[in-house]
Amino acid sequence: MHNIWLIAKREYLERVRTKGFIIATVLIPLLMGALVFGSAYMGSKSKTSSHIAVVTSDSVLGTDLKHQLEGGKENDMQIDLSTPSSDTRTALDIQLHAKSSSLAGYLWVTPPATAGDRPTFTYTARSAGDIATQEAIESALRAVLMREHLEAKGMAGSEIDALVAPVKIDTSASGNSTAAFFAAYTLFFLMYMVIMLYGMNTARSIIEEKTSRVFEVLLATIKPEELLAGKILGVGAVGLTQIGLWMIAAFALSSSSLASGLVGTGHGLISAAQIGFFVMYFLFGFLLYSSIAAALGAMTNSEQELQQLNMFLVLPLAFCMVMLFSIIRAPNSTMARVVSLIPFCSPLLMNFRISLTQVPAWEIWLSIVLMSATIFAILWVSSRIYRVGILMYGKKPNLPEILRWLKYS
Amino acid sequence: MPIVELQNIRKVYDTKVAVEGLTLAIEPGTMFGLLGPNGSGKTSSIRMMIGMTVPDSGTVSLFDKPFARTSLNRVGYLPEERGLYKKMKVLDQLVFLGQLHGLDEATARKRSLAWCERMEISEAIAKKTEELSKGMQQKIQFIAALLHEPELIIMDEPFSGLDPVNATLLMDTLVALRGEGKAILFSTHRMDQVEKLCDAIALISRGKLLLSGGMREIKSRYPRNRVQVVFTGDDSFLRHPGVVEAKNYSGIAEIKLHDEAAAQQILAEAISRGTHINRFEVMEPTLEEIFIENVRASFGDAEAGGRVDA
Repeated sequence: MHNIWLIAKREYLERVRTKGFIIATVLIPLLMGALVFGSAYMGSKSKTSSHIAVVTSDSVLGTDLKHQLEGGKENDMQIDLSTPSSDTRTALDIQLHAKSSSLAGYLWVTPPATAGDRPTFTYTARSAGDIATQEAIESALRAVLMREHLEAKGMAGSEIDALVAPVKIDTSASGNSTAAFFAAYTLFFLMYMVIMLYGMNTARSIIEEKTSRVFEVLLATIKPEELLAGKILGVGAVGLTQIGLWMIAAFALSSSSLASGLVGTGHGLISAAQIGFFVMYFLFGFLLYSSIAAALGAMTNSEQELQQLNMFLVLPLAFCMVMLFSIIRAPNSTMARVVSLIPFCSPLLMNFRISLTQVPAWEIWLSIVLMSATIFAILWVSSRIYRVGILMYGKKPNLPEILRWLKYS
Repeated sequence: MPIVELQNIRKVYDTKVAVEGLTLAIEPGTMFGLLGPNGSGKTSSIRMMIGMTVPDSGTVSLFDKPFARTSLNRVGYLPEERGLYKKMKVLDQLVFLGQLHGLDEATARKRSLAWCERMEISEAIAKKTEELSKGMQQKIQFIAALLHEPELIIMDEPFSGLDPVNATLLMDTLVALRGEGKAILFSTHRMDQVEKLCDAIALISRGKLLLSGGMREIKSRYPRNRVQVVFTGDDSFLRHPGVVEAKNYSGIAEIKLHDEAAAQQILAEAISRGTHINRFEVMEPTLEEIFIENVRASFGDAEAGGRVDA
């Protein structure tokens, strides 16, 4: 026990003192925050502001559409109205291909063959990828056509306004849901980064001892299991320190005026329980992934070789990332529940669900039991690979050899 | 009471037999040389002595008891591949390694400083290991193996890569430690060092013990049939019928004889032919010759050439 403590202490102190640790501690939350809140801000503030031309002989439709697209709630577009004539199309095409022009595209309205039918619309865009503009035009057209149709049926303007007015749902009782969602999102990425970072650190630290041959000296007094345990504990403690510093910084911020805008009134973005779960799931996630990393480190001889085996760490984490999107849509769906119980995903996904919704206690307990069992199994395998692999140099072992290592006792 | 006792140990890695039926014992207060060509199983044997690997069969005893990890705090080990944490400060490193060997922090610190002074590297104490020369790193590793005042000191190639001044410093330190009654085992290729330092040796090749025992006793097994002559003038006496093999390094000849008695005849013949003799010495074979002869025999002469290096 004393040896484990010594190894962990050395590992911890040597890591915390490095510049890399300080830089990561400061930069990661800054980047995360910028990324998450920045993309949210961009998403909410971005209105389609393209400049397009509308060619129609129906002046009522034209003005209505112009009105909708220029002054609508989501749009801030610039519309040129014109009536079709023999050279309009050529002029627009030239304009569309001219570099100096800001025209994003033009909409050609062909009147219906029989009165009462819908006209046909052709949109020619400068860039095929401008989906936002295209969608804006589609929804504006739908609104305009519906309004015209209702007016034709004799409905009054005010009645139509009342009918098409958007519905608002009050969610203030459960807190600011968008903000809470982004907080959960931030926590997810923080956890992802930290698990990834410190998992790899464990592997790297093993390789470092292997290439510098330090462990030959260490193994002359202590058992490989003690070395492995000390290493995982030491590196994990560094990760916890980093998270702890972030939490303290977050608390300090939330009491200042700067953060009140972020945290919102009444409901804090991140509750104490959420922090508790975060730390707990981080511990499980770290233990799980760093014991995989330890085995990878013991099997390889250099950082380059480790890179090749990296996917064993990255794949499960990337899977979590993919599942994230379906969990956001329905955090309590059967699939979300099953996926968040997979031990490799629980640290990230169960924690994410907890911060989004009410997860039944039995699911949390089940995830803890499953993760603990998996960690024990992986540690058992890893410590065996570690014990044999650490004394092997040169040749990279193949799968049958690794399986044979497991049989050595 | 032997400090280390190996009884008929055997270790096989996959298909390669690393050590086969090795038996040896090291008494306290002796300097023991473990000799053998590259890949002969020296490091494998040492690793089994300190429990880093476990023999497939046979027994290892430390301090007259079956091997137990608790005995390891009484063993100091300098591995062949030197290893230190590159980014760590020298003193921190020594204290850490001392603590792993069961010292408390204050003692480890005090002894580290004293040893650094003794090994003449006090100026390195505050530096990081990566800033030091290879020789200095080796001295630090040497100190790390001795901090906890082990009763058994095991050193794999302790003098390799050291300049003569530092090699002598290390040798003197080891001799002083033997004087304190510690048992020292070291492996080396340098036969002159072994001849000078060791009380007992074991020679292994291809995992098997070829030769073991006290240095005097081993040497006395061989006849005094070596002659070294320093001469000027006629060298025809080298072709005397009593000569088995003669190497003439321009004025210094090493001669191997059929038997001791031929020496006087050769000397008489050389003088009668007018050769001027500056020195004429009849000797036992050197350890190097014994080494090469035994190892050659173990490989079978045909394939010996490239694989033996002494």
